This record gives sequence, C-alpha cells and structure tokens, in this order.
Amino acid sequence: MRRPRTIGLAALGMAAALALAACGGSSGGGGSSSSSSAGFNAAVTSVVNPSSHKGGTLTFGDSSTPDSTDPGNTYYAFMWNLTRLYTMPLMTYKSCPGKCGLQVVPDLATGPGVVTDNGLTWTYHIQPNIKFEDGTTVTSADVKYAVERTFDRAKLPLGPNYFSLLLAPQKPAYPGPFTDRSKNLMGLKAVTTPNATTVVFQLAHPFADFNYVVAIPQTAPVPPNKDTGTNYQLHPMSTGPYKFSSYQLNKQLTMVPNTFWKASTDPNAKQLASKVTVTWNMNANDIDNRLLAGDLDVDAAGTGVQAAARAKILSSPTLKASSDNPISGFLWFTYINTKVAPLNNVDCRIAVEYAANKTNYQTAYGGPVAGGQIASTVAPPNVIGQKAFDLYEATSKPNGDLAKAKAALKACGKPNGFSTGMAYRSDRPKEVATAQALQASLAQVGIKLSLHGYPSGTYFSNFAGVPNYVHSHNLGLDIGGWAPDWPDGYGFFDFIAAGNTISPAGNTNIEELNDPVVNNLLNKMATTTDATTRNSYTAQIDMQIMKDAAILPGVYAKSLLYRSPNLTNVYVQPYYGMYNYAVLGLK
Amino acid sequence: MLLPGRNPGRAAAPGIVITFIIRRLVATVFLLIVVSMITFAIFFLIPRLAGQNSYELATQYVGRNPTRAAVLATETKLGLDKPIYVQYGTFLKAIVFGTHYNSGTSTTYCTPPCFGYSFRSQQPVWPQMVSDIPVTLSLAVGAAVLWLVGGVAIGVLSALRRGTFFDRFSMGVALLGVSLPIFFTGLILLELFSYKWPIFPNVTFVPITQNPLLWARNLVLPWICLAFLYAALYARLTRAGMLETMSEDYIRTARAKGLRERKVIFKHGLRAALTPIVTIFGMDLGLLLGGAILTEVTFSLHGLGLFTVEAVQNQDLPEILGVTMLAAFFIVIANMVVDILYAVVDPRVRA
Amino acid sequence: MAAPLDVPSPSGDVAPEAMLAGISSKDIEGRSLGQIAWLRLRRDKVAIVGGGVVVFLILVAITGPHLVQNPDVYHANLINPTFSRPNGPFGGISLAHPLGVEPVTGRDVLSRVVNGAQVSLLIAFLATALAVGIGVVMGIIAGYFGGWVDAVIARSMDVFLAFPLLVFAIALVGVIPSAAFGLSGNSLRIGLLVFVIGFFAWPYMGRIIRGQTLSLREREFVDAARSIGARGPYILFRELLPNLVAPILVYSTLLIPTNILFEAALSYLGVGIIPPTPSWGGMLSDAVNNGYYSVDPMYMIIPGVAIFITVMAFNLFGDGLRDALDPRSSR
Repeated sequence: MRRPRTIGLAALGMAAALALAACGGSSGGGGSSSSSSAGFNAAVTSVVNPSSHKGGTLTFGDSSTPDSTDPGNTYYAFMWNLTRLYTMPLMTYKSCPGKCGLQVVPDLATGPGVVTDNGLTWTYHIQPNIKFEDGTTVTSADVKYAVERTFDRAKLPLGPNYFSLLLAPQKPAYPGPFTDRSKNLMGLKAVTTPNATTVVFQLAHPFADFNYVVAIPQTAPVPPNKDTGTNYQLHPMSTGPYKFSSYQLNKQLTMVPNTFWKASTDPNAKQLASKVTVTWNMNANDIDNRLLAGDLDVDAAGTGVQAAARAKILSSPTLKASSDNPISGFLWFTYINTKVAPLNNVDCRIAVEYAANKTNYQTAYGGPVAGGQIASTVAPPNVIGQKAFDLYEATSKPNGDLAKAKAALKACGKPNGFSTGMAYRSDRPKEVATAQALQASLAQVGIKLSLHGYPSGTYFSNFAGVPNYVHSHNLGLDIGGWAPDWPDGYGFFDFIAAGNTISPAGNTNIEELNDPVVNNLLNKMATTTDATTRNSYTAQIDMQIMKDAAILPGVYAKSLLYRSPNLTNVYVQPYYGMYNYAVLGLK
Repeated sequence: MLLPGRNPGRAAAPGIVITFIIRRLVATVFLLIVVSMITFAIFFLIPRLAGQNSYELATQYVGRNPTRAAVLATETKLGLDKPIYVQYGTFLKAIVFGTHYNSGTSTTYCTPPCFGYSFRSQQPVWPQMVSDIPVTLSLAVGAAVLWLVGGVAIGVLSALRRGTFFDRFSMGVALLGVSLPIFFTGLILLELFSYKWPIFPNVTFVPITQNPLLWARNLVLPWICLAFLYAALYARLTRAGMLETMSEDYIRTARAKGLRERKVIFKHGLRAALTPIVTIFGMDLGLLLGGAILTEVTFSLHGLGLFTVEAVQNQDLPEILGVTMLAAFFIVIANMVVDILYAVVDPRVRA
Repeated sequence: MAAPLDVPSPSGDVAPEAMLAGISSKDIEGRSLGQIAWLRLRRDKVAIVGGGVVVFLILVAITGPHLVQNPDVYHANLINPTFSRPNGPFGGISLAHPLGVEPVTGRDVLSRVVNGAQVSLLIAFLATALAVGIGVVMGIIAGYFGGWVDAVIARSMDVFLAFPLLVFAIALVGVIPSAAFGLSGNSLRIGLLVFVIGFFAWPYMGRIIRGQTLSLREREFVDAARSIGARGPYILFRELLPNLVAPILVYSTLLIPTNILFEAALSYLGVGIIPPTPSWGGMLSDAVNNGYYSVDPMYMIIPGVAIFITVMAFNLFGDGLRDALDPRSSR
C-alpha cells in the first residue's frame, strides 16, 4: 500500500509552533496603552490611580485553590489579603504604600491592646456599632468565639495555631466549641468578655508581638449561632465591605457589597466595585494572558507573572510602565544543618557560604527582576529593624569567593572538600534549578552534593522537617523559603532560628540552630514592650545567625506584578508583597 | 471476520436483549465493586507497604507547623488509624447507605451515593463531582460528535479515493494528529485563536442552559483540540477497515446485483467496517467522560479532569477514590452500551 | 488510549505439492512467512524509512549519552538573567551547543534530548514489554483452554480495562513516597510508570491474542500436534506462539508510541521523570507550563519534534509491518 508523503507535514507542526515566536519576545504590544500608566514600580511607593469611582466587577484569578475561605482556617498570605474584603479582625495592617504599610493598626478594635500585668494581659475594646452582613451587631463574644474555633484542630486544621500556643493553658485542654459542653459554649478561660465591647486575653507568658497575632484573620468575629463548622467556608458572616453571594467550592467565588458596612468604621478598606469575583484553578499561563489582554484584573496569588508574560512586559515600554517589582517578603535560602557532619563545624559551613555562587542562585529563581535581590542577611528589607550587612561577600563577590572557601575548608579539617546530601522540593522548578546550581558551584571546592528531591506537600512533614530523617540521610543542606507571619524580627526569626522551635516533625528550624545568643535575644524581643528596643534586636539576631553560618541566604524574593490599567487605588502592601486587595476599585 | 472476544450470540428476540442487558448490569455492579476494592487497596495499602504510617499520612492534611495533637486529631477524624478493611467497609457503606457527618455545629446526612468527604476542604465529594460532570460531558460529547463524523467521513473518502492527493494529505494530517501531544496542540490553538487573534477569548465554561451560543463558542477550541487527535485515529481506522471490506467478495456481488454505489458503500461496506470503530468509540468516550484531563488543564475547564489533578496534588484520597470510581463507572457503562450496539449493528453477533 | 484493530490471522505455510514434481524443487521454493513479510516490507518505502528512524533512535538512546556532553551542567553565562532566556537566536545555537541551551539553566539541549531519548524510550519499551508479556500469556491461555479459565481471564481483562489509566497513574505517583520497595528517586519513578502502564494496559494485547488463539486452535496443525501426543504447554508455546508473532510484533510497535505520549502527558501534569534527569516529556512540559515557549520557542519545538518524529516513525513502521504480515490487505 502506498503511503502519503508525510515528511513535509512535519513542517506544519513547526510552522504553527514558530507562529508562537511572533507572540513573544520582541515588542509584544498587547495591553491597553492607557494614558495613565504611572510608570514602572509606581505602586511600590505611591498609590496609582487614586479614585473614589464606584462600580464595575473586580475579577481575580488564581492558579490553584485556597486552603480555605474560612478566616479561621487559612494560612496563605494571599488569602489573608483577600479575607480583608469580607472580615475585620481586631487589628490589621495600615492601608498605605511603602514602609507605612508595615504598621499594625486597629481595625475592629478601637486601639492597640492595653498591656497590663507585666505583659500577660492584653485588653482590646471593639467598636460598638459594627454589624454583620445580616444586621446583627458584633459583640466581644463573637471575637471570643472566633478565637475558640481555632482550638478545634480536627475540624479546622489549616490555620496558624498561635492562640493555642500563647494563651494561658487550662486543664483539661480546651477542645474547641464543637465539642465543648460548657454552658453557653464560652469555655475558653484565657479569653474573657467583661462587657459587650471588651475582650481580654490572658497569655501564658509575656509576648510583646501580640498585636501582630491578633491581626491574623482568626480574630475576625464569628457569630456562634451562625457558625456552621467545616461548612463555614461556604458562607462566612461578613464584617467587611463585601459578602459572599455565591461560592462554588474551588471554582468560583462571587461577592457583592455588604450593605451594613460603613466606611467610617473601616478606613483600611474600601467598597468601590459593585461585584467581586474570584475564579480558582485557572491555568497559570491563561491568567497572565488575560491580565495582559485586560480580561482579568488581578492575579490573586500575587506572586508574579510567568516567564512568557515577563518577557512581554519587560520588552515593551508601555507594558513595563504598568508593572511593579516589589519585594515580596520571602527569603529564599538554604538551611545549613548544624548537626550533620562535617557541617557541625562552623568553618565547614562558612566554606559553603563563600563557595556558593549567589548569582546562579538568583538566576535559578528567575533573575534580578522575577527572582529577587541577592541576599546577604537572613531578614529581607521589609522586616522592621532590618539592617544590611554582608559577612560573606554575597553582594561584593556574588559569584562566590573560592579562595576564602578553600581556606575555611582547611580550617575545618577538610581541605579537599566533603560530601553531603541536599534536599529540595522536586516539584518546584526554581528549587530544582537552585539545587543544581549549588551542586555545580560547591563542587568547585570539592564539596560534593548528592541531590534528593521530595514532594512539597510532605517536605516539612516527612523529610527535611524531620530531624531524624535529616540525620539518617545526611541532608546537610536543605532548600527552603520563609516569609514571616508578621513583619518584625520575632515573627521572622522565631520559627527558623529559635532553639526551642526544633520539633520532631514539621520542623522549620531545619538547621537545628540552638545558639544561646539567638535564643536570648528572641526571648528579650518577646518580653520587651518598647518598640524601639525590641526592633533593635532584629539586626543583632540576624548577625549572629550569619556568624553561625547556619543559613545560606539566597535572594530576597521579588515578583513582577502586572498592574492592570483598569484598577484604581493600586499599591503594594509591603507585608503581603502584593497589591492591597481591600482598597481596589475600577475605572 | 472473527472479532476478538466476541462469540456469536443467540438469536435476538426482545426478551433475549433485555436479559442480556440485565445480565450485563449485574456484571457491571460486580465489576465496579472489584474496581473499588483494587483502587482502595492500592491507594491505602501502597503507602503502608512503602513504609508510611498513619501519623505520617495525617500530617499531609493539617496546615503548616501543626502540633502533635492536631495531627492525631486529624488522623482519628479521617479514620487513617483504622485497619484497611474497616476503612474500606466505611467507604462502601457510605456509598450504599450514605453517612452522617458532623460539621462541628450540626450533623448532616450525606445521601447515597456518598463518596465521603474531601480530606482538605471537608466538603462532600459527590456534589463536587456532579457539578463537574456537565463540563466534561459537554467537552467529551461535543468532541465525540466532531471526531466521529469527521474522522469517519474522512476515512471513507480517503478509502474511496485511495492514492489520490486527498488521501495522502488527509492521512498525513491524521498522522500528525496522532503524533503530537494533545497539550501541545491545545497550547497552539490558544495562542493563535485566543490570545493573538481574539476570536475565542476567555475560554471558560458557560452552562448550556445559561447561554447555548456562548457555551458552544467557548468550547470550540477545546473541541477542536480533542477532536483532532481522535479524528485522526478514526480516519486511519475507518480507511483501513473500509479498504478491507471493500475488497471483499460480497461487495463485488452487491455491485454486480446492480445496487447503487452509495448503497454499496454505506449499507454493505461501511457497516461491516464500523464494528471495530464502535468498539473503540465506546471505550474512548467512556474514558473521556472520566475526565479529559490534559484538555481541561490546558483550557482551565473545571471538569472531572481538573478535579482529578487537583485531588492528586492535594493527595486527597476520598476525592481520588471518588473520581476513579466514577471514571471506571463511565468506562464500564460505555463498554456495555457498545456490546448492546454490537447486537444491533452486526447481525452476525445476533445470529 | 484506543485499542488497535484486530488483525486477521496470518496465512499459513505454503509448501509446494508433490504434484509439481518434475519441476526441480529449487525452482519453486516455498517461502516462509518471515521471508514473504520481509519482501513485502522491503517494497514499502515509507515503512522502511520509519523503521530506519526507529533503529536510529534506538542507537541514539543506547550510545548517544556517552557521546554528548553532561546534560546536567549549567551554563549560567549563556543566559540573560532578566528574561531567563538564552542569549543568541534560536535558543542560543552555537558550535558548542548545536541545539542551543535551556532557559534559566543554560544546559545543553542536544545532550538533554539524547539523554531524554534514553529515558523516554526505556520507559516506553519496558512498559510495552510488560504489557505484551502479560497480555500474550493471558491471551494464549484464555484462548486455548476456553471454559472457565477463559471466563475468569476475560472478566479480569474487563476489570483492568475499567481503570482510567491516566487518572490512576497520576494518583499512584502522588501517593507513593519517594523511597519505597528498595528503590528511590528515578528508578522508583520509572518502575512505577512502567508498572502502571504495563500492568493496566495488558488487556489490549490480551484481547487480541485471545481472539487469535481462538481461531488458531481449530487449525489442523494443532490437531496434528495433539495427535502425536503433545501436551498443553508444548502446544501453547511451540505451536501457537510462533504463529502469533505477527500480531504481537505489530501491536507492540504500535503500543510504544502511545506510551511515549503517555510519559509526556504525565510530565505535563507534574508526575513524570524527576528532574534533573531529562526526558522529552519533561522538557516539553517545562516549556509549556512555565511559559518559556514564548521567550524561547526552540525549547518547546525541539522536544516536541523529537516526540513527534519518534511517534510517527513507530506508527509508520508498525503500519508497514502490519501490511507486510497481513496477506489480505490490499496493496
């Protein structure tokens, strides 16, 4: 049987694919060239398109699904940003650009917590006339109940557990309101409500950062009679400018204005758009393309565009003028475990610090724009009290200093290098790239890395976060990233450097640092109420960790965000490292 | 032509066909139970065999930095600490009888078939799958019509015009279709017809009840993408089958009898060539109904395929189980329908 | 995944009758099936080209990795850090890197493609071998013995066919920890992929072989073997199996490209070969998923073309083989 000549048709496939080349790279002129493109990075320092114009549908898109829309059960940064649209926690971050936005200010509360009793008692007064979306007035009992819910880790396992860690314990342990059989269900003894507008928190030990803790959405009031447990995520009772009108789980969320919200009681949010929609589980490339075409307003995840869109944006002056490159608040780094030999010797760790090629680290994460700025300190610039310093020439010799590395190796007794394992998350291409880059650069001084990739879902729970596993598998280097739960030194360093946070599973102090200097300073931070003194410890802790060479900082993450010209009141909220979702409006 | 696996059946009377259907339904139920057991065993056993214990399994379903108590609570809630047969028993009982679920503030009854609750969102799995079915159904059926009509038509024409330019060109394109990965084709379609030239912008699913025109318009690109692959396959198969049957003696006889050419082709030639097509169509459609995974991921269509991917990424065992069972159900039903159609299409099976 | 067409039984041996005595036996020699097939195959130019490409690919997969540079070496100096794309046109083609370099890492594309060939073909061949192995054995036993043996095997074929293969593969890969059963990393992943594909795809081959066996067992040569006292296993493996070589060969050849595309699909969904080991599916999905196709189209085109050529070559060769082995197909 004779066959058709098909070789020529291979060209068909190639031609079609080559048509794509016309779409990318050079002079992609997509996106509306609105006359008010405020300029590259304009939203990092100022409000772009300030306006009080009302109306329009604000569309968000996200490439994955939320962990939960229940404000008591979420731990994603972008969700904490998004929940400000429908919740009012006790405190929140001030809605203003630049360093101004790092301040924590009262939201539902009338003022910051009044501290008494040597730092053990924190009293908050709440505004008297805030209403839920059904018109009922918010009382202190609703705030107490919201905190109580977070204690039931079987029903609501996903949010942070600061309250169970910080509040005064009771015996038997408080099980949460769903299994609590005490009268009126107000069984959490550490939180009391002397009257309808006062909430008093009793701490187990002084904790100067408690105002930050109550800025977490978990303190957003929940009316006990309207709580539906695991189904609350389907329709939380709103105290913010918008309320749920429909929510198809993991598919589409639609919000409409909450008629009982008053702007005068909530200066950190605005109610401008007449509808808000969030579409989950969209294809990431699709999100970027629609953003550029103007069919989508915001990428909810807020972590920046993909490579294709990045190229289009950076090569087109019009598009570039509508984009921002903020610091996102993450530090991408590598833990250098202090227990796995020979890294238990500080000089061997110092060798790693000198030998690592930081430029390649940056390139692996996406280069100076989309990856980040080469880091020389553990705390990124948007941590309160951070000071820049550079112990290992990360910024002066970003390709590494092999001579000093070799000297350090000699000092630790391994002049020809050593072997150790490196752990990374295999489903994160940037970490894969980083692992290989480090493998290549460290090999230059004889440090041989064997790479071990693990799935990100179980990375902390089963592998790198399990000290026994790390020891038995010789994982001297472990890639990680960290963003603090609140932007001060304690929030940044506690989980990753405090000796008492080393835990047998889910460990985040993977370098297993137990330095008394660091521990001491962290303790002082926790108990010092004076903000200036407290914040001065940040740089000291940072310096000590770097002296211990327990962490190899990679990059202060930056992301390239496209700022849709349709949006008004756009600016970067520095704590979230993405646009402030609570104030957006449309032209 | 002896068809693999097909033994000639008995003479078809309506009663026989009904008995056949009933027997197949019973076999189907049995088959699904076996599938469920194997699926359950694989997903629950293999992690154990590979060395994970239930505590470690539970840590995947709590948030960051969980306390030990939290992990234990999750372990108990999800039933991970119970022996396999108990977990399977609970699973099966829920499907048949439904189960009660305590959301914290109230107890809801999950009506049968109840595929349990998602480990992550703690919402019932079955309603989520049901809401995804229309998307996958629209995608699969629409593409199926396209590829069947298109593929068979091209295959027939190519067979009849064997050796001509049309034949070679279409078979060449068909070869292209079966050799390119589907997500590659999908991406090219999107780039050209959705982003670069916004002929089909914003591909999202609009239910047919809401706006039929928009429903169809948004599905054109995914339909083409999916249909291209299968049409190519079917064109090749039809052509090969047609060439075979058209060279049979009975075709010559039919022509000699003086029948019109069209009748010869369709009533005699195509009909016989269709039998393998029908088999494969049934299996393909059945498989697609369980989720056209690659197409849905490429075009962001919230169907069963996307549901599967998300379930796997979150290692959400009830969702994984649910979607596997549903997909298996579709496949088995499709095979059953195919078997019934055999009796209709091919008289030799009936005879 | 669609099941291949059924293949009519191959023609039996042709031996000249003694009636033609008088003509020396050398003038008319019976040709064996293999010889007939080979002659017909030789005449099919396109199939020969396909076969040639297949042989070439296999050679590349076996010897190539030793001939090209290390596929894991980074060349960060060849990358523009702002865009993460290779400097130079067409993905940074140069003498040192004839097919350019990858975005972000700067790794040599040619060596990654060649090494990827090894991985992709390895998985495809092993999975096919497993599917064929199980399928043939099951099919022959079912077809020959009939009765309840047949019923049991046919029903289990139905069970395996009921599993949605892609769903299962991605789910299983997600569920298995990264070290299990004594294997870890990529050997575990490859083993898993081979297991899933092979173990759940055997019914496709099994059904065909069963059908063939059903028709073959009524033939005279089987009766003849039985009459001289041959037992079941002998008949199965010495009489029937050689006659089944044709469909086995054909459908194996047609199953391999399906498995190559399957591996590409799994990589696209994030459950393919673990980096940094290259695989065609992994490169393609990296280009597509991370948006590099737009800044460096060659990064998508090259593995795409590699997959395309391989799949097409196997398809063409398989088609040609089927035509050559099947005397009833019209030429």
